[in-house]
Amino acid sequence: MILAGGEIFQSSEQNKILGVLEEKINRTLSSETLDREAVIAAADRLGKMISDGDFDHIIKQLSEDDPGEYVKTAAMLMKRENIEYRIASELGADFKEQYDITPPYGIKNAEIRFAPLGTLFHIAAGNVDGLPAFSVLEGLLTGNINILKLPEADNGLSVEIFKQLIKIEPALKNFIYVFDTPSSDVSAMKKMAEVSDGIVVWGGDGAVKAVRTLAPAGAKIIEWGHKLGFAYISGYEDKNAELSDLARHIFSTRQLFCSSCQTIFVNTEDIKVLEQFCNDFLPFLEKAAAEDPISEIGVTAEITLRKYNDLLENAISTADGGKRIFQGKGCSLTMLPDSGLELSYMYGNCLVKPLPERKIITSLRNSKGYLQTAGLICGKESRSRLTEILVRSGVNRVMRGGNMSVSFCGEAHDGEYPLRRYMRVVNIEK
Amino acid sequence: MGYRRKLFSVKNPFDTENTNEIFLAAVRENCEFHYKNCPEYKKILDSMGFSPNDLKTYEDIAKIPPIPTLFFKSHKIYSMPKNKFFITATSSGTSGKFSEIGFDFLGLLNGLNMVLKIFKWRNITTLRPSHYIILGYRPHKGNNTAVTKTALGYTFFSPALSRTFALKFKDGKYSPDLEGVISAIKKYEHSRCGVRFIGFPSYTYFAMQLMDERGISVKLPKNSKIMLGGGWKQFYKERVDKRDFYALAKKTLGIDEENIIESFGAAEHPILYCDCKNHHFHIPVYSRVIIRDVNTLKPVPNGEMGLVNLITPMVKATPILSVMTDDLGVIHDEKCGCGINSPYLEIIGRVGVRDIKTCAAGAAELLNELEETK
Repeated sequence: MILAGGEIFQSSEQNKILGVLEEKINRTLSSETLDREAVIAAADRLGKMISDGDFDHIIKQLSEDDPGEYVKTAAMLMKRENIEYRIASELGADFKEQYDITPPYGIKNAEIRFAPLGTLFHIAAGNVDGLPAFSVLEGLLTGNINILKLPEADNGLSVEIFKQLIKIEPALKNFIYVFDTPSSDVSAMKKMAEVSDGIVVWGGDGAVKAVRTLAPAGAKIIEWGHKLGFAYISGYEDKNAELSDLARHIFSTRQLFCSSCQTIFVNTEDIKVLEQFCNDFLPFLEKAAAEDPISEIGVTAEITLRKYNDLLENAISTADGGKRIFQGKGCSLTMLPDSGLELSYMYGNCLVKPLPERKIITSLRNSKGYLQTAGLICGKESRSRLTEILVRSGVNRVMRGGNMSVSFCGEAHDGEYPLRRYMRVVNIEK
Repeated sequence: MGYRRKLFSVKNPFDTENTNEIFLAAVRENCEFHYKNCPEYKKILDSMGFSPNDLKTYEDIAKIPPIPTLFFKSHKIYSMPKNKFFITATSSGTSGKFSEIGFDFLGLLNGLNMVLKIFKWRNITTLRPSHYIILGYRPHKGNNTAVTKTALGYTFFSPALSRTFALKFKDGKYSPDLEGVISAIKKYEHSRCGVRFIGFPSYTYFAMQLMDERGISVKLPKNSKIMLGGGWKQFYKERVDKRDFYALAKKTLGIDEENIIESFGAAEHPILYCDCKNHHFHIPVYSRVIIRDVNTLKPVPNGEMGLVNLITPMVKATPILSVMTDDLGVIHDEKCGCGINSPYLEIIGRVGVRDIKTCAAGAAELLNELEETK
């Protein structure tokens, strides 16, 4: 399905719509502007509809999990006070769309104006339900025209959401285009890229590389790439509570998010300490597994198979990998002697590695560009010191172990404020 | 006479009940051979604390460490020098990686014996000629996949009058040619000789669907057959209920259900599994199946689903004695009514994370690429 100008079209009409896209966008640019207040009001209203259950039937199709979590997040993100708070933290509390300045030299009187980039082309990933809609909402809040290419896994939720949003606020209709173009249709995506000023890409290596090839020269590419999360453990404030929270985080996210814990680093060089940690932590992980078990047999089988295969790989390798698997019920810990940040087997199977404090920066710098969230578990006295080291090594979010994937209103995304990236600063001589 | 040959010479190809002892002896013989001749295999068995001498009773077969098909995709391990291979077959690498399995001449000879016996039982071998429509790859020099070889091999069990291929190799890649298939079907409708369809179920289904959409239905000669094999490949989403498939075959081609024969085999387990008239895959004497728990890899009782571990002592060139597939399946003990007593294997699906690409996994891929380019 395609959404253009507030109307729904069949996918087969894609090329016809793309043929007049530039003309339509230019018409909108020349005659319409988006009122941020109207966008906020419409989002707030839509958020209420989502929390009232108006979209439950579609959300249920998206995920076997309880729609409750999704609804809670959506309602939270769309609430007026939260959007306003977010705008204040991202653009500044006293943000003014335009103001005059009198510079000390050169031009004496000028105007600063924050303008939308123009047209944003969003290429969304499928791993977070509803993400495409939030990406477009950010574009609308900054006054942009938005073209969204849906992820293939989208089950119609995004189109439904935008249809409702336009119903609530018809002024948005020329600012939202949604296409269900498959990623293989390069020529269609090229057309969408050609009419855009900024390309927002959510996704992995394939997506980002593909976008670079189809983006016209000069288009701004805004990458929200894939990241790896880790926990760092150096003592405890309340060992039981902190380990139990971390274990629950591992199971509640299935280790699928950029912010999910893949590797647990322990502040030690002593393998015995590492072993002790695995023995201590495994029962917590087992408890979390029992509370929130992985029900998909195919997933469990694949992970078991990969672990078994790695065991055989180890057997024929000449080097002693020093790998040890601590197998629990429905979960596992794999202890490794190196200090590299690595993806785990996921779904409740975490890596455990030694990382003495003095090596944090050297080791994490090898993964720069992929760093995002660290879950820091440590004694009170060392929290600020370790936070500082993690920040210096390139980490963008330092959270408590159990809260690694918890988001909050007004937080940055991968070290940046998205709303700022979707705007440009215009200087006008008076 | 070696135990392998004895096993492959057993008269009734489904008499698993009375062949456990000879199967064990052939397995022990094969295990010893690989242990002596394949250093990697020895390392694996040693690391798991298993020795061929541990094979004392039939139940001990489950203790042989199975090698995952995944492992063969990244390691070419053999128990004979490559120049002694009679042929090499590669698994069709749906994920870009494939395994290369070497076959020894005697192993293949035993395999041929097996195929002849099973095809005879299923009435596939005949002197009456047929037209062949192959819904698979047209063989060419660069294609070594077992599927291509098997599909072509099938066309020798009844003299071939013609061969039409649905996947053609053009400009360096395969592309489907369903139009060509449909015109061949129309052409052979009134032929005196039967038409035999061979190949991937998905393409066969697509061709029938296309005919149905266009309102084309033919009544092919009585001795026509559809022989399916090779798995559903990347078309899992299109996977259809078998009942729908049989109904569509009757409607568009006029072929009865009993003339639809499905078989599967893999480069890593080259035993021919052919369905009975009730469409069940009975375990033949040449093979044993162990279903393993998806968490612990311990054998589960028949009737429970788990990872499919296939065992055969057929091949000496490559240590594929006990392989773990990435399929999930169940062994059924209940009698199916076709007259064969051996239990039958049902493949339920494939292991895997649901159709989602996780962002963490994406980052790891990128990191690996960087490592490789460093």
